[in-house]
Amino acid sequence: MTTTITRAAARAVHATKSYGQAETAVLALDDVSVDLPEGQFTAIMGPSGSGKSTLLHCLAGLDALTSGQVFVGDVDLGRLTDRQLTLLRRTRIGFVFQSFNLVPTLSALENIQLPLTLAGTKPDRNWLEAVVETVGLTDRLQHRPSELSGGQQQRVAVARALVSKPAIIFADEPTGNLDSRSGADVLGFLQQACRELGQTIVMVTHDPGAASYADTAVFLADGRIVDAVERPNPELVLDHIKRLGA
Amino acid sequence: MVTVAFSEMWSHKRRLAGSMIAVVLGVAFLAGTLLLGDTLKANFDKLFTTANGGTDVILRGSTQIGSDINQSRSGIDASLLGLARSTPGIADAVPYVQGFGQLVGSNGKRIGGNGPPTTAANWVGVPSLNPYRIVAGRAPRADNEVVINRGAAKKGKLHLGGTTTLLTPRPLRVTIVGISTFGTADGFGPSTFTAMTLHAATTYVTDDPSKVTEILIKAAPGVSAQRLIGELQPRLPTGVQAITGTDLANENISDINSGFLGFLRSALTGFAVIALLVAVFSIYNTFSILAAQRARTSALLRAIGATRRQVITVGLTEALAVGVFGSVAGWAAGIGIAAGLKGVFSGFGFALPAGGLVFRGSSAAIAVLAGITATLVAGVVPALRSSRVPPVAALRDQAAERRTVSVFRAAVGAAMTAGGVTALVLAAVRPGPVSLAAAGAVLALVGMVVFGPIAARPAVALLGAPIARTRGVTGTLARENSMRNPRRTAATAAALLIGVAVVAMFTVVAASLKASAAHGVDRALTADIVVDTPGFGGGVSSQRGRLDPAIGARLSTVDGVQVATGLDGGDALIGGKAHAVTVADPARVGQVLDLGVTSGALAAMTPASLAVSADAAKSNHWHVGSMAPIIYPDGAHGTVTVAAIYSHPDITGDYLLTAAGWARHTEQAVVSKILVKLRPGTDVAAAKDAITAATSSYGAPRVQDRAEYRSSATSSVNTFLGLIYVMLALAIVIALMGISNTLSLSIHERTRELGLLRAVGQTRAQARAMVRWESVLVAVFGTVGGVGLGALLGWSFVKAAGSTTLSVFSAPPAQLAAFVVVGAVAGTLAGVRPARRAARLSVLRAISAE
Repeated sequence: MTTTITRAAARAVHATKSYGQAETAVLALDDVSVDLPEGQFTAIMGPSGSGKSTLLHCLAGLDALTSGQVFVGDVDLGRLTDRQLTLLRRTRIGFVFQSFNLVPTLSALENIQLPLTLAGTKPDRNWLEAVVETVGLTDRLQHRPSELSGGQQQRVAVARALVSKPAIIFADEPTGNLDSRSGADVLGFLQQACRELGQTIVMVTHDPGAASYADTAVFLADGRIVDAVERPNPELVLDHIKRLGA
Repeated sequence: MVTVAFSEMWSHKRRLAGSMIAVVLGVAFLAGTLLLGDTLKANFDKLFTTANGGTDVILRGSTQIGSDINQSRSGIDASLLGLARSTPGIADAVPYVQGFGQLVGSNGKRIGGNGPPTTAANWVGVPSLNPYRIVAGRAPRADNEVVINRGAAKKGKLHLGGTTTLLTPRPLRVTIVGISTFGTADGFGPSTFTAMTLHAATTYVTDDPSKVTEILIKAAPGVSAQRLIGELQPRLPTGVQAITGTDLANENISDINSGFLGFLRSALTGFAVIALLVAVFSIYNTFSILAAQRARTSALLRAIGATRRQVITVGLTEALAVGVFGSVAGWAAGIGIAAGLKGVFSGFGFALPAGGLVFRGSSAAIAVLAGITATLVAGVVPALRSSRVPPVAALRDQAAERRTVSVFRAAVGAAMTAGGVTALVLAAVRPGPVSLAAAGAVLALVGMVVFGPIAARPAVALLGAPIARTRGVTGTLARENSMRNPRRTAATAAALLIGVAVVAMFTVVAASLKASAAHGVDRALTADIVVDTPGFGGGVSSQRGRLDPAIGARLSTVDGVQVATGLDGGDALIGGKAHAVTVADPARVGQVLDLGVTSGALAAMTPASLAVSADAAKSNHWHVGSMAPIIYPDGAHGTVTVAAIYSHPDITGDYLLTAAGWARHTEQAVVSKILVKLRPGTDVAAAKDAITAATSSYGAPRVQDRAEYRSSATSSVNTFLGLIYVMLALAIVIALMGISNTLSLSIHERTRELGLLRAVGQTRAQARAMVRWESVLVAVFGTVGGVGLGALLGWSFVKAAGSTTLSVFSAPPAQLAAFVVVGAVAGTLAGVRPARRAARLSVLRAISAE
């Protein structure tokens, strides 16, 4: 058995996040340290209130830690200004949200290219074509989001996240608003992006079925990392969840 | 339900603030104009009552020609004084001789003359018959002694014991022996009053010493004014009437109300209504958006059992509350507006007698009720719409605002616009009547507002194309955002469209007035130099100036002057109708004016002749040789014969009489302007200097060459236009605030979307730019529509009017284009606040927002 040394695309070091003042403070993240390895599809799981969304927001530079550090690559996000953070998001990070994920006034293709056009850079034509082809929406590119199904919209969102070749894609409950078939479709596509294109993906979910598409599942409870599972499948995940609950 | 309404309002207080401000501003302007009108009216009432209050009965000429306050009325025989004194029941009767008399200030310039009268008269020694009181010095005893009112002394920096010149209009050297007040005030409003001895007055302010202007009568104790009239009336010759002081005051009050004050009040109210109308659009828009944003709450209320009526109640309660608070606050702000308006008027050179604001309950009620009604009207449709939200919408993700436009609306809007435009074009082409143009204007405006949402999408797409092309994705997003809800975009832009249309229309009419005046000077004036007095109510055909006719003779001796001749004017009844007439010397007028005589000859005019414009000849069915009855200002009847018909009435107006014929019927010889033709080859600048020097002792009248006269003839139009711009500025400000408010609300609605854009890498600067461009697009859309409509309206009105003063149509392209640029800049400003809000959004909060 060979050991591959994988670099971390993003990591949290003693990350702590609390809301509120002194005695009424709520600890959303309690000294979390985690490495999110490059080229891996990681699922962050946990019951609601476990701090999984907070961890994602902090890793993505959308929210600031109370103490500790987060790195994307070698960059310490805590040292960046708002503008630098915006630029970092634009170039190094991709997002997929639960809903309202596309700009309704732009076509599918324009939505996909949005991060590039905001940055004022030309898309890499071959890469764009590859992404669009993988998304499987070649014939719907000129449509507005309102003319696409929920699954199609979410695939456009994933394509948009992929197009700027980010170091890491953060997906926040990407299947939360989809029926199971469309959900499976999107998850399969995320998995494919990771395996075929080598894209690092971090996904927050509470659905064991969704987590089973990931390479690794990390479990959070009460703001701490309590468990991790390699090659998760739904049964294994459920098993862990039950143990956590016990 | 009302509890629900108030909790809803409380949670939306920031959003309601925008519509509240629109109500406040709209009502403030209305309240301010009403307040100013009330104050002016009260002051005029007081002035006229003071002026005539002590006098029981006045004898005066019964012929009156012209209706304004400067009306000319014939004098009466001085011998009537004996008759009056011998009438039983009369305590005292004094003669009163009044005429034009303008003081020259210590700087050599004339005092006043901008509207309010400058009067000279004899000092009446009976205090109850004289509203003026001497506060320093004494009454005049010698012919060169005068008492001047304190206001005139202050304005002209004249002092007791000093000497100055009084223009009657002959220059008189006078010594100031007394300073008077009008009651306790500095004067009769801003007018000036110079009192002299009776002998001086009959010598200088009237040419006929046997006549007096009025006889002022004091009744004996216990005798009523009415009884005196009964005694006097049968003894009076025809042409003389007796009137009580109270009736005279009321007559003056009603004259000024139907004349100057009435016009001012209706004009001000007109502008206030425009501002309020614009505010209604802003308010309507805010309520529509709030109703849309509240759709889920409404649906929830319906789902748990609220009736449609109850949901409507919520919406209307909100409108009522905004209307009441906004209107009351607006009324209070109106006090400031009234003071501001007064300042604006004096800034433009119109002195208004508006000291001490006068509050009337009825005006306050009108302003507040108008504000509340406007707000409720604006709130009805959104309230109805929110009541139509089906209960099931509460369960859906997002209850969308209706964004499509019905075919019915499109058809009605298109039909109304087409009908309006057709009426406007018809009125212009035929030409007239103006009422057709007015009806077309209203129809076209309403039509455009109805049709707006249909036009908004393609129009904004077109206007936004260059922005989208040059500003990348930021521009594209701005363009798409303003296209996504055409109803909202159109309603926002409509407010601006109305305001800008009125501005553009006045601009076009003003430009046409100027072009017509310039055209008139070019074709009708052949004189090289014009001497006149700058004054109120300009226009090249106005003969309101007062100059000494002797100036003409004096100028004839100046080197290089070939001919110098005066024009005068007044009112006369010709063929039974009152007309403004110009008076000239027929032997000389042909050398200084090119009247374009088409038949007859000016040189053939005798004192019993009349020359008329082709238009006047046509409307009266006159030709050379036609005879018409005339009544002169002194009441004399006569007959005039048409001796010439001319086609260039630009400077003389439609009716021209001879100076010789006119002089017999006026009491004070004056000319309004003197036209000077130089000998060929004379240096105009040198001649102008010589003329200026020769006239300086006549109160330094204005001396202008052709080019200067041409531009000063148009400058009074600029003054009025400036005033109109100021009046309309508030409407434009309300419209721009409407844009700002709508955008802020839209941004609130798009919180998630904005968060998403920021999350995928839109910088704050890009977010700001996106919102600003959207604001610019809406503003430009409204401005372009307004300029287009306004130019059309102006064209139609100018053509339909078809008068001499509006003979040339002119649309200043640079100015109209500048409006669009200003609209774009104003749009940027309107977008500042919403743009800042958009950029300030916390990304995390935005994307996790419900």
